[in-house]
Amino acid sequence: MEREFFSFQIGELSLGVPSENVREVVRLGPLTPLPRAPAFLLGVCGHRGEVLPVVDLLRFLGKGEAKPTERTRLFVGIADKFHVGFLADSVTGLEKIPLTEMRPAPLAGDWANEHLLGVVLRSRGTLALLDLAKLLTAARQRVVAR
Amino acid sequence: MSDQVERVDLLVFEIGPLRYAADAAQVLRVDTRAQDAVTLEALGPLKRTHRALVVGVDGVERQLAVDAVLGIQPVAVERLRRFPRMARAGQETLGVWLDGDAPVVLIDLEKAVRPFV
Repeated sequence: MEREFFSFQIGELSLGVPSENVREVVRLGPLTPLPRAPAFLLGVCGHRGEVLPVVDLLRFLGKGEAKPTERTRLFVGIADKFHVGFLADSVTGLEKIPLTEMRPAPLAGDWANEHLLGVVLRSRGTLALLDLAKLLTAARQRVVAR
Repeated sequence: MSDQVERVDLLVFEIGPLRYAADAAQVLRVDTRAQDAVTLEALGPLKRTHRALVVGVDGVERQLAVDAVLGIQPVAVERLRRFPRMARAGQETLGVWLDGDAPVVLIDLEKAVRPFV
């Protein structure tokens, strides 16, 4: 048994999200900040004639902040009725991960762990697998709570 | 058949590096900024601050300080969008005008200055 993930790098983090939650990867276009929005919501950009909110996962997870450059990419995450753009410094691609390689998220410490499906331990570092649907619901709650 | 595209006149202005737009009908005139002009820090830091939009609320005129007025732009209503569910902004915002791929936040000027009347 295996599951396909879309993996990417943002800051020092190697992250993956279920591939069914990713629609496409695009360049970061003009970004318009929103008044009184939480810090992790960087603003909105135009995408295929619609308005796409753009989230900095580093800020959302309390791991610093993204530093967008010309090489920064945006992957469009979807879950329920949410369409959200997430910054990525680089995209690794799609990979099928055997469920036997997935380890449970650490129980202690970091509150960001609550958004993890699990982790994959590798010689070059840890790949943290995010539950994007749960993360989007939490993000929405934090936006609305303001 | 004539082209029946519905349009709205948007007054486009700048605060700091950011462009905003508002229904031009809400603006009585553009004036030199007075000392008691309303400044909305949530929209960004003012730079030059010598311009102001004059807005009427319940018969009272108030100025909203802006950096520059870029003009009035007729915009097809089909280019206007609500905020996505994930992207709530301040109460003075209405949504977004998609100027090409560049979103411009729409401001309800009356709602923005009403707390200061």
